[in-house]
Amino acid sequence: MSNGQPAPLPGQSDKIVLVENLSKKYGDNIAVNGISFGLTKGEVFAFLGPNGAGKTTTVEILECLRNPTGGQAIVLGYDVSKRSDQAEIRKRIGVLPQDFNAIDRLTVRENINYFGAMFKHQLDADKLIELVDLKDKRDEQFKKLSGGLKQRVGLAVSLVNDPDVVFLDEPTTGLDPRARRDVWGVIERLKSQGKTVFLTTHYMDEAEYLADIVSIIDHGQIIASGTPDQLIDSHGGKKTLIIRDAGEEGLKQLPPGLPKAELRNAGDIAIPLHNGELTNILMSLTKTLLHNKEIEVKRPTLDDVFLNLTGRRVSEEGN
Amino acid sequence: MRSRIYTIISGHFKSWYRSKSNIFWTIAFPLLLIVLFGAIFGSGSTKFDLYLQNQDLSANTPTPLSQGYVSALNNTEAFNLHMVPAEQTNALAYVKDDAQPHNRGQRLLVIPYGFQTMLNTTRQAKIQLYMDQSDQASVSLIGIVNAATVSYAAHLSPSADNVIVQQVGIVTKNIRYIDFFIPGVIGMTLLTTGVFGAVNTNGRYRELKIIKKLATTPLSKIEWILGMVGYQMILATISLVVILFFGYAIFGVTATIDIYTLGLVVAASLLFPGIGMVLANFVKEAEGADAAANAITFPMMFLAGTFWPRDTLPDIMKIIANFMPLTYVNDGLRDALIYAQPAQALTNTLIALGLAAFFIVLGSVLMNWKEE
Repeated sequence: MSNGQPAPLPGQSDKIVLVENLSKKYGDNIAVNGISFGLTKGEVFAFLGPNGAGKTTTVEILECLRNPTGGQAIVLGYDVSKRSDQAEIRKRIGVLPQDFNAIDRLTVRENINYFGAMFKHQLDADKLIELVDLKDKRDEQFKKLSGGLKQRVGLAVSLVNDPDVVFLDEPTTGLDPRARRDVWGVIERLKSQGKTVFLTTHYMDEAEYLADIVSIIDHGQIIASGTPDQLIDSHGGKKTLIIRDAGEEGLKQLPPGLPKAELRNAGDIAIPLHNGELTNILMSLTKTLLHNKEIEVKRPTLDDVFLNLTGRRVSEEGN
Repeated sequence: MRSRIYTIISGHFKSWYRSKSNIFWTIAFPLLLIVLFGAIFGSGSTKFDLYLQNQDLSANTPTPLSQGYVSALNNTEAFNLHMVPAEQTNALAYVKDDAQPHNRGQRLLVIPYGFQTMLNTTRQAKIQLYMDQSDQASVSLIGIVNAATVSYAAHLSPSADNVIVQQVGIVTKNIRYIDFFIPGVIGMTLLTTGVFGAVNTNGRYRELKIIKKLATTPLSKIEWILGMVGYQMILATISLVVILFFGYAIFGVTATIDIYTLGLVVAASLLFPGIGMVLANFVKEAEGADAAANAITFPMMFLAGTFWPRDTLPDIMKIIANFMPLTYVNDGLRDALIYAQPAQALTNTLIALGLAAFFIVLGSVLMNWKEE
């Protein structure tokens, strides 16, 4: 496979990344335990899971930074375990490592050119600067940028060789909500340009918003895969009617005969909805003072999917 | 496509000159040291301790010619002469006993009994110079004794060659403290920029995930190391030129840049980053590696004769100094730049190159390019 074109993958020719029964052990500790998945050209694939689930280990195997203990991983038709294939993979992938920082005292433009010079072909730095919306900061030293802007430099650096697939490892961890949205905007632009993106994240909303396909990993194993809608439909549970700020008093005012309601953190009442029940419940609420409250129908999220599959939620910090 | 190695060098260099603290530690601090030490010690010469036994007495007083020779030695201002009583039958034992508690080199010059008579009758006389062959000062000291002796003999007789036992002809010059100090400052700068440079690039860049990012590109570990060494060579050359120019402009220090100097710059640019890479691999945290670099460089600076001749060190420290790589860089730089001792410079350059090869290979092997 190392000479010239990669060998075709029988029945899987459309797969940019193909992982089969992949494992990674560190002594007795199993970081990745026999996982399989595929990544099709042009899609945004989110590898979703809490810290320590095996996301970074997996992505670093695909980036040829770690050697797998078992199974197979093929990237762009090349085997990550073969030394000769690794050179080909490195030419054609883009990588944004977790917690990446560029070189402090180089400007945005110089950093892009620095990493670009590692490749035979590099994209024009100014075009990349435009893509990540950093025109005003082009000649600013990296160390003077805010966290969100730094991450956008990282994204530009990961694209500098016009890669066939981009690996983004936790690209928004530690950013404030606005900076996260900005990074999402860049990833959406990549998606619209037809780039294939492999994204690891512990943010459920991020995966739901950006990904075409989500694989949820926990304790080194993939526990569910599919589009966000498929996962929510199959594992998310029911829609919920939320009555904002109703509190204990509100619970007492609920008419009899409704599904079992619960009080959530901020004093919200949550009532699970079964098919066709919404109208009846709303009608019954008009007979109480609760109809003056803010009422919302909430669709299950990937958060609920993870909760239903594992029995726990993932915190903001990813634990 | 620009060369990857050129890009690495250029990236390091830009990061260097854009940091005020880097400029301070690489350029301003050594110059500040030169000014301070030059002002404090600049007027004094580096003097060699030398024991002298004048056995040529007449009625318990030195004969005029032997006393004249002692004066000639004194006039060089190169020696701190310590007199050994003429009646001491075992002068060497006396010197040994006296030198050790005073941390002096064990060197003895004996003017034998009959020195004046021999000069007057046969016009030939011998003096004996006893010293340890491994004494770092031996070459310079012999040269100065020789020069003083030849000068004294010429004063006595036009055919000076017949008068005094000849030593191997060595050109010496009056070495001031500042002449001694400047190569030491260059060595110190090469040490600190090399070790800390490598610790920073391999420790801090690892923490910032820059090395991880580079490892996912076609850049190889060897190219990365060559880039780092190339950058160190540029920095070493700048340090050398700036310090020598400053030494010449302020203190009139004249130095000879020769092939050995260049060899030592190459050796130091491999050796000290190599040591830094080894440290960075054993101490993974950047801060810890920085502390380890301090712990290594500071003792080495003092023991390797950067500020004062190693003669002044206790014996045990002199032994330890022999294991300090900086010792050979400092000695080599002094031999090449100041003492004009090509043979000694060659030896030290070869030792430094050998150590450089060892450490750069060890550092390269230990350095994790991939994650495991």
